[in-house]
Amino acid sequence: MLHLKPHNLLIQKTFSEALEAAAAGAPLTLDRIISDFDYTTFHISNSPEDKALLWLSIRTKAWQSIATCDGNKNGLLPFLESKFTSYPSVSIPSSFESGYDYTLQIDLKSLDAATVLQLSLVKTLIFNYPFHLSFSEFIELSKQQPVTDDFSMSSSQSTSKSLYTIRYRDDENIFIKPSNDRITVIFETIFQDETDKVFGKVFLQEFVDARKRNRSIQSAPQVLFSHEPPLELQQHQQGSTNTDKSRRFITFVLFPRHFQTVELQFSTVCQLTLFRNYFHYHIKCSKAYMHSRMRYRVDSFIKVLNRAKLDEDDEETIDEKNQPHQRRTFTGRKMVY
Amino acid sequence: MSYLNNPAVVMDNGTGLTKLGFAGNDSPSWIFPTAIATSQSSNTKKASSSSSSSAAALGPSNTGTSANSSATPYFGNSTSATSFNNLNKNMLLSNNLAGKRGTEDLDFYIGNEALVASQGPSYSLSYPIRHGQVENWDHMERFWENSIFKYLRTEPEDHFFLLTEPPLNPPENREQIAEIFFESFNCAGLYIAVQAVLALAASWTSSKVTDRSLTGTVIDSGDGVTHVIPVAEGYVIGSAIKNIPIAGRDITLFIQSLLRERGEVDTSLKTAERIKQEYCYVCPDIVKEFNKFDRDGSKFAQFIVENQEQTRKKVVDVGYERFLAPEIFFNPEIASSDFLTPLPTVVDHTIQACPIDVRKGLYNNIVLSGGSTMFKDFGRRLQRDLKSIVSNRIAQSERLSGTKSTGVDVQVISHRKQRNAVWFGGSLLAQTAEFKSYCHTKKDYEEYGPEIVRNFSLFNMV
Repeated sequence: MLHLKPHNLLIQKTFSEALEAAAAGAPLTLDRIISDFDYTTFHISNSPEDKALLWLSIRTKAWQSIATCDGNKNGLLPFLESKFTSYPSVSIPSSFESGYDYTLQIDLKSLDAATVLQLSLVKTLIFNYPFHLSFSEFIELSKQQPVTDDFSMSSSQSTSKSLYTIRYRDDENIFIKPSNDRITVIFETIFQDETDKVFGKVFLQEFVDARKRNRSIQSAPQVLFSHEPPLELQQHQQGSTNTDKSRRFITFVLFPRHFQTVELQFSTVCQLTLFRNYFHYHIKCSKAYMHSRMRYRVDSFIKVLNRAKLDEDDEETIDEKNQPHQRRTFTGRKMVY
Repeated sequence: MSYLNNPAVVMDNGTGLTKLGFAGNDSPSWIFPTAIATSQSSNTKKASSSSSSSAAALGPSNTGTSANSSATPYFGNSTSATSFNNLNKNMLLSNNLAGKRGTEDLDFYIGNEALVASQGPSYSLSYPIRHGQVENWDHMERFWENSIFKYLRTEPEDHFFLLTEPPLNPPENREQIAEIFFESFNCAGLYIAVQAVLALAASWTSSKVTDRSLTGTVIDSGDGVTHVIPVAEGYVIGSAIKNIPIAGRDITLFIQSLLRERGEVDTSLKTAERIKQEYCYVCPDIVKEFNKFDRDGSKFAQFIVENQEQTRKKVVDVGYERFLAPEIFFNPEIASSDFLTPLPTVVDHTIQACPIDVRKGLYNNIVLSGGSTMFKDFGRRLQRDLKSIVSNRIAQSERLSGTKSTGVDVQVISHRKQRNAVWFGGSLLAQTAEFKSYCHTKKDYEEYGPEIVRNFSLFNMV
């Protein structure tokens, strides 16, 4: 498994099972908690009134910052609703389940596999919103001030004043900054563990260098890595309280070719929102790999040590006085001189 | 610390099946075989070189952030069992990125996907757990890695983990587990519980249980072997544990042999297993049950074998094996000649081998766990047989000593969560507020080292 997939396998499985059971005439009674990366919890339960209706509720740490990132326009809920309008079996209840940020109501009678797939993507859809906003802002900005090929006119660059922030973990944030020729996505990250820090550095360096070294990925977004907040952030973070030394900043520069079509946009968002998990997953995989190398090496050392053992059978010779050469203790252990 | 709200992860890795899920749920989220299919290095080389010629293989690296640009754009590296043709692409991609070394260590499948993958030429299947204990730590570490990130989708740094271990697991194995979970996965906290104790905790859901004590006898019968494990106040009495070599697989084989003797049209192992699961029950008396069958034809059943092609409908008659099959627990001589002690006698011997002051509690709380204890009236029959053994002994001692005994209460508890009792008990304990205070955290581990997991404080729940 090289990549992590954007959809939640467990949601997919639970709904498929519920669908099968409902088709067989024995609807399941469900009350399940499902977890996802970055403090996200789902809850699948039967609607209190009707057993054929299921509720899928989501609670995620990033909700607060995503819901307010558009400056009190309250666009998140209509945005999510629009993602489910083409799926007739999904409706949005008037009030959400208490303790959760968002709830979808699913009618088992008209549920199909495509809908189940869309449901399992609900976390990615929520994370999609600030990206969606910055994509549309990019279009506006680029219309106002078209990009010219003349590089001498550096003043032609205009950046948006807004900076979309997704606070998805305790000390880690995603910043998205659209401008007229690019969109900059910055990850602020902190490593809890010292070993991870070292592994992480190697990985990040590889991200930066791979583009230089490998011709076939020249069209990939540029990746930058620094200890200092990038310039895009500095004007927004004046007098920032968090001056922790272990902070790292990873910057992805997206050019229009990375978000030209809707499909491309969605896959870009999927990969970016899973970046942190992907990154940590691979740090863990490398540690597991190193552990297996260590076990292998220790085994081979033990083999070498075993080779140095004396052959025991040879010493059981009998000398002239018809006495066994080897002397043993009472319990049968050999005496060593 | 926002991870306080995250549900704890409960993992029960058994010899045959792994049960994974989140605390607070009533059933495991995933149940799949504890199997891992790893790629054989000689074959991977061949596969990657053959794919390099295909133009499609260059697709993923061209678009950079978007992975495989084909029909499923955002499910990039599909690891599902159905799309194995993606595999070659991934290998090429990884070779491009890494340059020096490939990522063969990530090329593996676990669970049901492993079973599917191992049918192909390039994967070999292995079971990292033997007899309840981890044998191959390399494979186990990768098994956990995949189950955490792919199946449970959790960041281990944000979650507490509850793992299980068999009774008499050496403490070194616990340390290994701790090393993997704290060093590789940086998990927030870890608790390793003994399976039998969790099975006891699961029985608290039964209405028959009045006091939530951790004293009792656990009868754990899975596929391979049946254990009788006495637990006194949360501690396993290791010297008294007894094993019975009769379990689910033997029952299935016995049904199969009965079907073969009668010359049924389909005598496959699968059919026998379905018959076991759907038709078998425990009877109070075999002779009477035989008579009942002979008088009343409705007791016989018919099992219709569904085959894939649906060309011909096969009908298998189900007769005496309905009650004879589970009977091998109580009269093993009908199936085997190697092991002849009935289950109630083994339970009695086990309890008699324990210290005298806990025996009453052990007789009073006999808990069933595992799939092979799911037969109807299994608990009732066990209770009756055991009661007669115990009352015979009491009568004898009363006769010899001339004093009146206060009596011993025998109670067998069966409950609805019996099949995954160990996992359910874990889920029950891990959802309590105190659970996290019983865990060893990453900080503790760094302070004291792996030997910290040799001891865990017990749950004393009321």
